[in-house]
Amino acid sequence: MNWVQLAITVVTVVSILGVVTLVLNMQYGHAGLINFGVVAYFAAGAYTYVLLTQSPPSETSLDQYVIGLNLPPWVGFIGAALAGLVFAAITGWPTLRLRGEYLALTTFAFAEVFHSFTINEQRFANGTRGLVGVPRPYREELSFLDYDLALALAALLFLIIVYIIFERMVRSPYGRALEAMRDDELALITTGKRSSRFRLEVFLFTAPFAALAGAIYVAYTTLVIPDLFTAEVTFVVWIALVLGGEGSNRGALLGITLVVLFEELIRAIPFDTIRAAQIAASLEVAALGVLLIVFLRWQPFASLTKSTRKVARS
Amino acid sequence: MRVAQLLVLALGTGAFLLIATLGFALIRRVEGFLNIAHAELMSLAAFATWYFNASLGWHFFLAAAVAIAITAVVALVIARLIYDPIKHLGPPILLISSVGVAFLIHGIVSAVIGVGIRSFEIPRLDAWTVGGLLVTPYRIVLLLLAVVASVALALFLTQTRTGKSIRAMAINRELAGSRGINVTKASRATWLASGVLAGLGGVALGVLGTLTTDIAFQQILVILAVAIVAGLGSLYGVIAAAFIVAFAMDLSLLVLPGGYRPVVAFAIVIVVLLIRPQGVAGSREEVTA
Repeated sequence: MNWVQLAITVVTVVSILGVVTLVLNMQYGHAGLINFGVVAYFAAGAYTYVLLTQSPPSETSLDQYVIGLNLPPWVGFIGAALAGLVFAAITGWPTLRLRGEYLALTTFAFAEVFHSFTINEQRFANGTRGLVGVPRPYREELSFLDYDLALALAALLFLIIVYIIFERMVRSPYGRALEAMRDDELALITTGKRSSRFRLEVFLFTAPFAALAGAIYVAYTTLVIPDLFTAEVTFVVWIALVLGGEGSNRGALLGITLVVLFEELIRAIPFDTIRAAQIAASLEVAALGVLLIVFLRWQPFASLTKSTRKVARS
Repeated sequence: MRVAQLLVLALGTGAFLLIATLGFALIRRVEGFLNIAHAELMSLAAFATWYFNASLGWHFFLAAAVAIAITAVVALVIARLIYDPIKHLGPPILLISSVGVAFLIHGIVSAVIGVGIRSFEIPRLDAWTVGGLLVTPYRIVLLLLAVVASVALALFLTQTRTGKSIRAMAINRELAGSRGINVTKASRATWLASGVLAGLGGVALGVLGTLTTDIAFQQILVILAVAIVAGLGSLYGVIAAAFIVAFAMDLSLLVLPGGYRPVVAFAIVIVVLLIRPQGVAGSREEVTA
């Protein structure tokens, strides 16, 4: 096992999923909105990036997709962010009316509908076969560096930028209004704030970052298949957030680092048989479930990462 | 003719959805949260039945009965160990915890069972032709089973002492407790009943088709759809909702490819949540307040 390669992989994946965890933390940890469809922004960004930057379908290949605009990567990234915005607008407007688990279900439903669309619609992105061998952005321009290392650094830089933006937002009066909405929406309304506006704004403001993370993820995987964007991504991000203690951006990053380290270490173990690898993968899923249950109940890191404690509600 | 054939198909689908959702709706009504792990309990029952029946060679009915009993006990143990201690944290936390439970059961079941397609050792029966329509015997059995399960649950809840306690608890837990109802006992009975229904749903899943370890996740989506359409009001709403969702999904085959069946279920969820969030039976306050 090459430890340098493992370290680069972990930094890349932690940075990409870290952004998604921060987005979820803004929505759930700070604003109290349960989003069970966060993978949809991530997927929307990834697909939009590829549709904008890939070459048009050729007559001779087996490709069935119809859109390929051959635009430069930076247009793809901007398009991905816009796709996140559009998807947040679609999933965000029910948030004006729905609360708690009903919101969780609606966002989950939207994400599943989008997932089914990517599976079933061959003309969109080849259905389940997906798009493979996606060119990595700015490969030639970055040829003086090892590309994997460059990508890891770029993803890390993006994560740091998002972290700073979100931290500033949390510490602003606006961020305190969001937390007030989470803790006691009625009290917020009586101070003259319109909580329904805040709810939609949180979705619109944070989703483009998750979508951009999705576009960067394509540069890492070089393929876009529906299997990469299942509800499992949503749940992994949730586990990470709960692990680190929701409501704290530092906690969110700690959580996703632990989860990704755990997953990548298991993947790095060499197995003799396919069956052994399959058992390990299954037990990894079971272990993530145990982590989620245990950390929700005892929240061991919450006191480390939270600056203020939530007031207990009756 | 094609419409009539799809309607027959939908009756079977509805019967399955009814069995699968009853236990889920019961927990939602009494314990107050969405137990995402319900579908994984179904998968547990299906694979336990498969193991006893196809691997150990037990008679199908014995295998199914033992599997359903195991599922009920597992449901109760999970509730006592995991859900009860965090009840005070509220329904959203219980919902997220149940995702963890779903991961846990799914991981263990797929580690033990492995990849591949399984099916029960039951005789393959040919479809009958009734008035030009194809009717499969197992779907008729399923329809009868759904009727029996619904009636049994209704009788349990209205005629027995424990059932009445459960209904009182569903309306107001504290008041029920202060009036001398044994809330702990009623809660345990609820979990056992939900586990039995999940077990029945899992066995039905294996009777209707082949099994893979991913089967539960596909089911929970549709179960959620039925539960949302039913609303919080009464369990009778579940009967209507199961068939509404089943007819919508199966009739969509007229205009959409088969892969879109779950999308149809979710489109119904979205429409219901936006137009009538209280479901076909229920009050509005609990949804948006």
